[in-house]
Amino acid sequence: MTRTLALVPLVVLAATGLLLAQQPASVNPAANNPHLGNPQSIRSGMALYRISCADCHGLDAGGYRGPDLIALLAGGVTDERLFQTIRKGVPGTEMPAARELDTSDNDLLMLIAYLRKIGTVAPTETPVGNVEHGATLFKAQCVSCHRVAGVGGRLGPDLTRIGVARSRAALTREIRTPNDWIPPAFEMVTVVTRDGQRIRGVKKNEDVFSIQVMDMRERIQGYLKSSLQEVIYEKSSLMPAFPAGRLSDGDLNDLIGYLSTLRGVEQSAR
Amino acid sequence: MRAFLIVVIASVTLAAQTAGPQVTSQDQLDGLKDPTRWLTNGGDYNGHRHSPLTQITPENVGQLAAQWTFQTGTLGSFQTTPIVIDGVLYVTGFNNNAWAIDARSGRTIWRYRRELPEDWRGCCGAVNRGFGVLGDRLFMTTIDAHLVALDMRTGGVLFDVELADYKLGYSATVAPLIVKDKVILGIAGAEYGIRGFIDAYDSQTGKRAWRFYTVAGPGDPGARTWPQGDAYLRGGGSIWVTGTYDPQQNLIFFGTGNPGPDYYSSAREGDNLYTTSLVAIDADTGERRWHYQFTPHDVHDWDSTQVPVLADLTINGQPRKVVMFANRNGFFYTIDRVTGKVIVAKPFVETTWAKEIGPDGRPVLLPGHLPDEDGEKTCPDLGGGTNFMSPSYDPTTRLFFVTARETCATYYGFDQKFKPGDQYTGGATMRPRDQKNFGALRAIDPVTATMKWEFRYPTTSAAGVLTTASGLVFAGDGDGNVMAFESRTGRNLWHYQLGFPMRSTAGTTYMLDGRQYLLVPSGSALTAFALPQR
Repeated sequence: MTRTLALVPLVVLAATGLLLAQQPASVNPAANNPHLGNPQSIRSGMALYRISCADCHGLDAGGYRGPDLIALLAGGVTDERLFQTIRKGVPGTEMPAARELDTSDNDLLMLIAYLRKIGTVAPTETPVGNVEHGATLFKAQCVSCHRVAGVGGRLGPDLTRIGVARSRAALTREIRTPNDWIPPAFEMVTVVTRDGQRIRGVKKNEDVFSIQVMDMRERIQGYLKSSLQEVIYEKSSLMPAFPAGRLSDGDLNDLIGYLSTLRGVEQSAR
Repeated sequence: MRAFLIVVIASVTLAAQTAGPQVTSQDQLDGLKDPTRWLTNGGDYNGHRHSPLTQITPENVGQLAAQWTFQTGTLGSFQTTPIVIDGVLYVTGFNNNAWAIDARSGRTIWRYRRELPEDWRGCCGAVNRGFGVLGDRLFMTTIDAHLVALDMRTGGVLFDVELADYKLGYSATVAPLIVKDKVILGIAGAEYGIRGFIDAYDSQTGKRAWRFYTVAGPGDPGARTWPQGDAYLRGGGSIWVTGTYDPQQNLIFFGTGNPGPDYYSSAREGDNLYTTSLVAIDADTGERRWHYQFTPHDVHDWDSTQVPVLADLTINGQPRKVVMFANRNGFFYTIDRVTGKVIVAKPFVETTWAKEIGPDGRPVLLPGHLPDEDGEKTCPDLGGGTNFMSPSYDPTTRLFFVTARETCATYYGFDQKFKPGDQYTGGATMRPRDQKNFGALRAIDPVTATMKWEFRYPTTSAAGVLTTASGLVFAGDGDGNVMAFESRTGRNLWHYQLGFPMRSTAGTTYMLDGRQYLLVPSGSALTAFALPQR
């Protein structure tokens, strides 16, 4: 019935949580998981995963909006930490807590049994590149639009925590072919006022009667459509594509190496 | 002296009994004839949501201005249609809250709050869609599956009846339909493996008069459409949108919800009657007169819990008593409400699962739309071509107005073990990455089931529609705007940004102190609009 539009946020397993939600419980149910390796439990865990997690983490757990879980599992996360992160959620992210009323400990253990089953094959990641060179490339090519720890432009997404939010595959895709998917609030528009002034920028919001834009000078401003001649929606991203001819495989590897070190900043350091 | 005292006491008692408002069965039949009142969820028994008021017109609607705002001060959004009686609003809200509010000022008169059990869980929010009213009593279903009768003057509880066990996933959100002396309602919870029903209760005693199961069981001819065994006991068939009533036939009409589990076909082979159907039920006995199933063996969670809108139309030169139904499965139907046979049915949004509705009334299915573990893409998505948002019918223009959704989804289906009280959907859906969903207000000619005009919204909307005899349509987009349109052309005439989108209803309109008000619930606020005072 109403699961339709009620839009209860689906369970998102954000990798950030694996770093933040680490309080070891005195008795963590995942320390002794009877479902590991049990085919029936794994099948039930798959159903639970698809219902609650797949929307954000992808059907194959390879990451979609949410992080790549296969990479996380291969990276050595413990079952206890997985359990805590799913149970408590990750404050400040889309990852909600799985309340005990909705999801029993037993369900979570079956879910972990499923994740362990699909996460046994290590992903074929290439070695991490030269982080220092990656940082240099970032400063030369990216920082005018992307912000890290309070430094840089605002036209593109803030990348302060990108290292825990995106898989290597997702980063590669978004650098090589950024037009494949433009994140919401970063689509390009040009608004033309009645007196012919053209304002180009990224669309922050829109409804039938108004549009809100950050222009190329990073000024945020709303416009009533009744006062505009035209709104031109651009199909391509402001982010330029970096094919191999523009950014070699080696440089890309270095850049991603640097990006993967971006895992947030301490509050006190801000 | 003694005799005098008795007379005085009797007079005082009589005065106390008659001081408050009294709503009669005749008032219910009269619908919106008294312009100071809005007594039923759909405005009248036909479900038209069409007001005879004409003070606000296409010419002056641009001057409409907010008069006051009421804030609930609680979490959760309104999905209610306020009841209006003699200058007082009766409004239900989130988490089993309700209020009586001064319609002149927006100030609270009383508040009712029922404690929500700590272990209550529901799929879709602790919403409520409104009161029913009879005599000096208000009737409200509660999210923990009770029916309460409240004293209209104080909000005090007069009776409290358990409909079903909320611990097993049963819940109730529907605004009761009052017919004669009965309070008619239905149960929700099809995501939890419940067996749905429609009930009637005596408005004075709270005693149950009859029950109609929306999932056919042993002894019912519809039982053949379920697998042998006990699948019917968790077969779904929720009721969560108020039905309509035809006094001439003494029939009530309700749309029924999806079968359970939602997506996994193999758990329930067969048509699964009377889920995703329109059922016509005798108002006195609860016996089924006829049914029409929109989506036999639904596997896309397409509840048919939309409003069955009643009208008398001339079709091919013949007068026909019809029920009009814009269904979540993407088709618009005009059905003969005496026989239950489809007169005309056509898609009103993009539909990929069925080619058409065949001469026998069954959808002609297209291949590749049975959810499995690999997923299949189907339009519309699980939210449907439309949903619980109320449509409106304007008998003057003979146009049916509906908030339409243009959407697609990838549906997955897989086996799931049933555990009482736990969610039991047998699948899930995802929005394809390249899918651009949007919404629209659409005007449909019910004689031909074709679209006459549309006004597009950038995103989908769950707002209902309200029309007035002055030629106005009030509706809302998914971004928080309430809007007015010219009903013949769809021209936008006015809008106001509410700060949160309307859901379920487009509000009510009524006269008070010589002024026509538009009352709009959105988020946790009610906003009253009127023209400037002269």
